[in-house]
Amino acid sequence: MAAGGRRGKTWYGHGLPYLKLRNLPGHLIVIEGTDGVGRSTQTELLQPWLELEGHAVSPTGWTRSPLLAETINEAKAGHELNVTTLSLLYAADFADRLEHQIIPALRSGFIVIADRYIYTAFARNVVMGADPAWTRELFGFALVPDLVLYLEIDIDHLVPRVLEGKGMDYWESGMHLALGTDIFDSFQRYQRRLIEEYNALAREFEFITVDARRPIDEIQAVLRGHITEYLAGAGRAAAGARPPHVARVPEVPPASLRARRR
Amino acid sequence: MKRGKKKDLLTPTTFSLLHAVDFADRLTYQIIPPLKAGMIVLADRYVYTAFGRDVARGVHPAWVRALYSFAPRPDLALYFRVPIEVSLDRLLSGRAKLKYHEAGMDVGLASNPVDSFRLFQSRVLDIYDRLTDEYDLRVVDATGDIPSQQKLVRRLVKEMLRGYEAPPALGNGNGGRR
Repeated sequence: MAAGGRRGKTWYGHGLPYLKLRNLPGHLIVIEGTDGVGRSTQTELLQPWLELEGHAVSPTGWTRSPLLAETINEAKAGHELNVTTLSLLYAADFADRLEHQIIPALRSGFIVIADRYIYTAFARNVVMGADPAWTRELFGFALVPDLVLYLEIDIDHLVPRVLEGKGMDYWESGMHLALGTDIFDSFQRYQRRLIEEYNALAREFEFITVDARRPIDEIQAVLRGHITEYLAGAGRAAAGARPPHVARVPEVPPASLRARRR
Repeated sequence: MKRGKKKDLLTPTTFSLLHAVDFADRLTYQIIPPLKAGMIVLADRYVYTAFGRDVARGVHPAWVRALYSFAPRPDLALYFRVPIEVSLDRLLSGRAKLKYHEAGMDVGLASNPVDSFRLFQSRVLDIYDRLTDEYDLRVVDATGDIPSQQKLVRRLVKEMLRGYEAPPALGNGNGGRR
């Protein structure tokens, strides 16, 4: 997984046939995790740190494209979407950011920090009952990230964190799935299933799992450690004219990069 | 959709996805319910339009097919085929100028809309010809006069509808094109 920067970028699926992947020297770092786990807080702390370290940073997040963010919010407010149209809107938002922001930033050597990525759509769609194979085909134009840092939490730790923060909202509680009329019960059931899906994706795509039950600064320190390690590896590969022992992708990732499982 | 088109902000992929959003919405609300009620749905354009138009713009043919895999296969798909010059003449006599995306101006094949239309729509027509085999589209020669086209269309529709029984109390409601 962390070898992405050394190997060069690859498409997740069919890709964008009209774009070439050569010369993307930047790094695509993804922060994943369920609603309220602290992704945005951590991402905001990472940016100034990386800039002080001398990197140009471009942050991006789910549904933040100028083209579609407004449309998606309007449509969600009307609750008139089914999982198919909502997925297609998210995909359009993501495609817009990928082509207008992420790829140009990578071309200019930026570190792109993505607060959520296609895995969020994968997890949500499974819970909402969409065909997982379809969702994966849909996002086949995505770039494979260089590093995915997954903030893992369990439902018992998530609930108080969300209630101390901005509270439970309609969508994050899965009220659109009509799991029940009580928002607290619905939140628990919906988020429990989402977390299960994220955990399955973490195994499948070899995310680096970070225990998100810990205090903010401890999580931040762990994230910085993983990013430093990744950037050092990518830097060595770039400087070292690709010696054969780095060009080969190991079948088992080094112990330090293996997902931490509890 | 209009927002994106107006600002000329769309890439081939976002263009394709936004059309798919529109299609998915019409499928959900306007196509599936009447089909479930046993009614006949006439669709002026279907997924094949995307397979031609979006692939001519540069998206992956397998990707766009997967994208639309939620759409049911039609019972009958008619393809009205005309040479490029005929469609150009018809469009130009009907209105003052060609639409930006219809002429494929975003693809950058030519700076003049008419030249661009010729080049872009030729690509689309080539793709349609291949779709004809892939999806068993029934070709109607659309260069001929309308009554003879209509005769053929009615014959094909009648064949397909053999044995069809309309649901009860149909005919006095408000019909509409889907």
